[in-house]
Amino acid sequence: MEIKYINPFIEATKGVFFNFFNKTPDVKTPYLIRKEEPHKWDISAIIGIAGEARGAVVLSFSKFLATYLTSILVDREVKEIDDDVVDTLGEMVNIIAGNAKKGLEEYMLVISLPSIVTGINHEIRWPGSRNISIIGIPFHSSCGEFTLSVGLENII
Amino acid sequence: MKFLIVDDSRIMRNIIKNIINLLKIKDVEYREASDGIEAYKILEEDNIDILFLDWNMPHLNGLDLVRKLRSIGKFTNLPIIMITSEAAKYNVIEAVKEGVDDYIVKPIREDTFLKKLKKFIDKCST
Repeated sequence: MEIKYINPFIEATKGVFFNFFNKTPDVKTPYLIRKEEPHKWDISAIIGIAGEARGAVVLSFSKFLATYLTSILVDREVKEIDDDVVDTLGEMVNIIAGNAKKGLEEYMLVISLPSIVTGINHEIRWPGSRNISIIGIPFHSSCGEFTLSVGLENII
Repeated sequence: MKFLIVDDSRIMRNIIKNIINLLKIKDVEYREASDGIEAYKILEEDNIDILFLDWNMPHLNGLDLVRKLRSIGKFTNLPIIMITSEAAKYNVIEAVKEGVDDYIVKPIREDTFLKKLKKFIDKCST
């Protein structure tokens, strides 16, 4: 794994957090995720990537953190996963993927519209060949933890 | 002045409105749309002064809307500010080539956005 391919995603995630919530999350050590590995998250925002590399970017949160962050943006208390939570997470993963393209310009990547998956231990299926490596990037913020997972065939 | 804000994220449309409101423009009116088709309908029926346009949207995306508008006489001079997450240089070049007047990368930096917007407003007012 080359860190130069992961850095654009880390920087984009920090950027969107700072801009939206005035918080800079700490990055923990990235690790290799096995496909369809069980996880602890309640909601994930997914964006597909095409172009000269195929894959996906997935942003995963606990219900608590997803609703807490949405409350900051919409200026009301959000307790359940509703349309505003879906909107918030979708926009965040869209910005992360779109911004990260700047650091991977040689691959002429194209991003899809975001989708949201919810449910305890929801399943995320990754596109691409069996050998696609999926990197999990754990983040820690003052209000909780979340993970950004990136899998890009031919790059990572 | 009448502004049309087009983004499939309602939260993003509100963020854009809140930033524009910092300029305290007199008699400003907002119209909103969540995709290119809805935006086109509004542009046809109303006199919009500035269009704020996202790129990645369902049904008709922002860039396809720009292509459509620039091919129609009455919209060739409509000021279009694209506000998108697409940060790659080749995306910016493509958008400008198709007729976008300015390009803002999300997340929006208030100071940069307002500086750019002020120029457009001054131009519209003269």
